This record gives sequence, C-alpha cells and structure tokens, in this order.
Amino acid sequence: MIPFIVRRFVVLLLTLLVVSVLCFALPYLSEADPARSILRARVAELAIDADAVEGLKARYGLDRPLPVQYASWLGNVVRGDFGYSFTNRMPVGDQIGSALRVSATLALTALAIAIIVAFPLGAVAAIRPGGRADNVVTFITQSLVALPEYWLGPLAILVFALHLGWLPSAGWLEPAHVVMPACVLAFRPLAYFTRVARASMLDVLNAPYMTAARSRGLSVARSIVAHGLRNATPPVMTLFGIWLAGLIGGAVVIEVIFAIPGMGRLVYNAVVNHDIPLLQAGVVCIVALAVAINTVADLLYLALNPALRASRHAG
Amino acid sequence: MPAELRPPMPAGGAAAHGASVVRRFGRALAAWHWWFTLGMSAFAVIAALLILTPWIVPHDPAALDLRLRMAPPGSEHWLGTDHLGRDVLSRLLEGGRFSVSIALMTLILSIGIGTVLGALSARIGGLFDEALMRIVDLLLSFPEVVVALFLIAILGPGYGTLVLALTITGWTPFARVSRGLALEVNARDYIAAAEVLGCRRRFIVLRHVIPNLVRPIAAISFLRFGHKLITVGGLSFLGLGVQPPGSDWGAMLADARPYMERMPLLAIAPGVTIFITALSVTMIGQGLELSVDRRMAARAGRSPAAGRSATDAQAEGGER
Repeated sequence: MIPFIVRRFVVLLLTLLVVSVLCFALPYLSEADPARSILRARVAELAIDADAVEGLKARYGLDRPLPVQYASWLGNVVRGDFGYSFTNRMPVGDQIGSALRVSATLALTALAIAIIVAFPLGAVAAIRPGGRADNVVTFITQSLVALPEYWLGPLAILVFALHLGWLPSAGWLEPAHVVMPACVLAFRPLAYFTRVARASMLDVLNAPYMTAARSRGLSVARSIVAHGLRNATPPVMTLFGIWLAGLIGGAVVIEVIFAIPGMGRLVYNAVVNHDIPLLQAGVVCIVALAVAINTVADLLYLALNPALRASRHAG
Repeated sequence: MPAELRPPMPAGGAAAHGASVVRRFGRALAAWHWWFTLGMSAFAVIAALLILTPWIVPHDPAALDLRLRMAPPGSEHWLGTDHLGRDVLSRLLEGGRFSVSIALMTLILSIGIGTVLGALSARIGGLFDEALMRIVDLLLSFPEVVVALFLIAILGPGYGTLVLALTITGWTPFARVSRGLALEVNARDYIAAAEVLGCRRRFIVLRHVIPNLVRPIAAISFLRFGHKLITVGGLSFLGLGVQPPGSDWGAMLADARPYMERMPLLAIAPGVTIFITALSVTMIGQGLELSVDRRMAARAGRSPAAGRSATDAQAEGGER
C-alpha cells in the first residue's frame, strides 16, 4: 500500500510540473509580444506606443528569457503568489481563492442533487429490467444528456425568475442564488449516475445468491436497500469524484449565464480579455485540483476495496 | 458492419420465398429495437438536410434584411427571421453543418487515435503503458471546456481549434477500452489456438481483435457524439466557437436570449434542433445495444434483461 501511495504521489508531482510548464509557456509562445497584448487588453490598439510597451516589459520582467520567467513564477506560485491580473491589477491569488469557493459550492450542491435523485431512479429501473419503468427512466436519462444547458438555463430564468418570481435570476449573494444553476447543472451528472446505479444494482439483484435470498423471503425493498444500494455506492462515488473535478472550473456556460463569479467564468474572462496571468493561474489551479481529486478518489477506492488493494500492491 | 452487430433475421424459408422486398425490409426493421429505428430515421433526415444544405437552403444565411426583423413564420420565411432579419431556417441548416461536422470529425479522430494508442499500450506495456494510462487518467478528470478555452486563448477561435481541443480530451475513453480489450482478447484461448494453427498476426487482428472492439467503441461513440455537439454549441454560445457572420446552433441561442419573450421561436428552434440531433444519436446507440442484447438473450434462452455491465456504464459516465 505504502509504495503505491508514494508512487502515485511522485506521478502527481511530475504531472503538475509538466502541466505548469505548458500552462505557463504556451500563452507566451503564442503571443508575438505579451506586453503589447497586455496593453491591448487595457487600451485601444492605436493608443499603444513603444515607450509604454518597453516600460511594461521592464516592470513585469517580460524582457527576461522564458525559462527564467517560469522559474520565478513557479517560485512565487509555490508560496501562493500568482502575480497580478493584467486587466484589473488585482492579486490573482485572491480572485482564484474566492472563485474556487464559489465553484465548489455550486458543484457540490449540483452533485448532491444528482445523487439524491439518481439512486431512487436507478433502483426503480433495476427492479424490472426491460419493464415500463426501466424504459421510462432510460428515456429520461437519455433526454437529460441531450439537453444543452445553455438552452435550459435561460429558459429557467425566464420561467422561474421573470414570470413566477420564485428565484433570483442571476448573481451570487444569498443561498437562493444557488438553486437554479445547481439544478440545471445537476441534469447531466444525474443521468450518468442513474445509469451507473441501475447497472450496478442489476449486477447484484440478478446474482444467484440474491435469488436464493429472495426465495427465503427477503423483500424487494430490503434487497434493494441492503444489497443494491451497497453495491451501487462505490461506482457512483468514483463518478462523483470525476464529476466534481470536472464541474469546478468546467461549469463555464452555467456560470456565465447565471453571472456566478466562479472558476469557469474567471477562465472565460481571462480568455476574452487576454489576461495571461489570470489564465495561467486559473488553468493550473483547475488541473491541480482535478489531479488531486482524481488521486484521492483512487486511493479511497483502493482503501475500500481489499481485493483491488492486494492486486495493485502486487503489480 | 460486422456480424456481431446484426440483429436476428427472422427465420422462415417459406416467408422469405415469396416475400416482397418491402415486406422483407419491414421485417428486418422490426428485428431492431424501435429506439434504433426511430433514432436512425431522425438522424438520417437531419444528415440528409445538412448534406444537401448548399442546394436546398432557402435564403442566404448571412443576408441581413433590417426591414424584416423578427418576422413571424410565413411562406417566405418558414421559421421566421431573427433580430437582424436573417432567415432562421437557413441559419439552422448552416449552423448544423458547423456543429455536426465538428462533432463527427473529432469523433473519427478520437476513435483513430484512441484505439491505436490503446492497442499499442497493451502491446508494448511497461513504462509506455504506465505513462499513457496516467495521461488518460489526467485528461479524464479534466474539464473539456477549459482545455478548449485555453487553446482558444492560444490559437484563437476557429474550426481547427475546436476540433483539436475536443480531440485532445476525446480520445481517452477509446484508448482505455481498446487497451483493456486488447489485453483481454490476447489472453483468450481462441487467440492461442489461432496462433498454434499458424494464422498470421494480421489475420488474427482483423478476424478476432477488431470485431471484438467494434461493439464497445460504437457504444461510446454514439454516446459521445451528442455530448460533443453540445460542447461545440456551448463554446459558440459563449462567442468562442463559430465567428460571425457564420452560424451555429449555440450562437443562435445566444443571439436569441434577449428576445426570448418577444419571439420564443428564436430560442425554441435551435434548442429543439440540438436536442433532437443529440437524442437521435444516443437512441441509435442504446437501440443497438438493446437489439444485440435481445439476440444474445434469445440465443442463451433467457429473458433480455441484463443490459450492460456496471463497468461499461461507469466508463461512459465519466465523460462530461
């Protein structure tokens, strides 16, 4: 177990290093002149003069060779200093910190909704595979996957905020602001969770020992709660980890539609404004988080599954 | 299409004897699950419309007519016009060519790259295998939209950028499946038997390995397609996909947002189109699975119950 963890940790660090180089270097390599693009982000193209460009280069250290810039950037990042945004000149670290909190809240709420709905749906479908309930659930999950969130989002705002007035339309101040985006965001993971829950419940409900237990008088409800749920939890939790990593930062469209100051919108704004420090830091943080969540999920899975632990340890 | 994927042909020599082509066709159709039939028909219609667009498009999709802003549907403009007086139907057709072709392109590239890398990884093993699987792990947990945003920031928006971004995150499930299957198939007795019998390596790959890959790869592809379509639309919705005056379903939705109440059709038309296109392809995939299940169940003499295994569903569920 221990060697495996150590190996995973080394891989994790290596991955992060490679990713950080890519995230740092690519935006600079693609721009003919970063200083010019910074100025372009602030003022109109015509107003840029050579003096301003040179001054900016000297101030941000952009005249140094790229590897030197990377080394100093990485050194600062390790100490938690991501530099300053090119556009609003605020510390990038602060912006990312608050955006991460917002996105994590949104993603966790959405995934909680998805899980709460997915288990009952999966169970209903698994009771009689191929039956009417199963077909209906399958059709619902397929439809949810095919629904674009940039269609549902504005529609939900129109109905629930403008017409019914039940919920605020956009923004991020009070708990009520979480409801609508979290529900819209929950649809796709909900569909996948349901599929997985159904499939893993089927695995156990169709097993010969379950037929034996049922013939000895175990009720359907009990078989689902005691055996189906238990069997479906680990695979759904694995998916949960993958989705959590993906939704923190990946919910760009929803965050833009609902004006939520999260990671997705931060990266989107960085792209639109050519704000290189913000882009670098945002992408590095999202990747680091994804890799970390992924590793933790793997280790948890390993800890919960002794059979796998033995085989991974040997291999 | 390999024999694996073909549903059961109803037996009965006498019927086949005098049956007209139409009846035979109807029977072949009935052998498929109705989801497959419905999805296939819907997608065939959409694909035909999109392929024929240059010849059947009623108006120039980019032509402005400010006197005719937000005209209701009529004989001249079947779905009305948008806020700049452009024909909605024409823009739907042109926009579909953009999103659907990107989704198809990335799918083909992903299948090619993924299966080859996965099979190679299984064959070479060692450090290459380890490194590749770590990369797959990383990309699997990585939001596709962020990769796309990053690449757009570097390369600028465009058709090629979108294809590249979606392929970078898209090949991983195929690599995983093909690696797993290649490992599994290589350990099978019939492969050993074929080797003992002196079959050539190429024959074994073509006759035994690839047919085994087709079904799981097809299943993932059908599921991924709708997903890619929606991602392309999302980027266009954000203004980072198709650039004006070009059209895309996502961009049309973004344009329609301020006018949703005055003219709901502007938002309904592209939304429904994305939904139907994505759903039809998912239904093809699901129907295909169910048809095969039914045949296998009929062969094994049990009820067509089992469906796919939990691990299959999980592998697919990880795709955002």
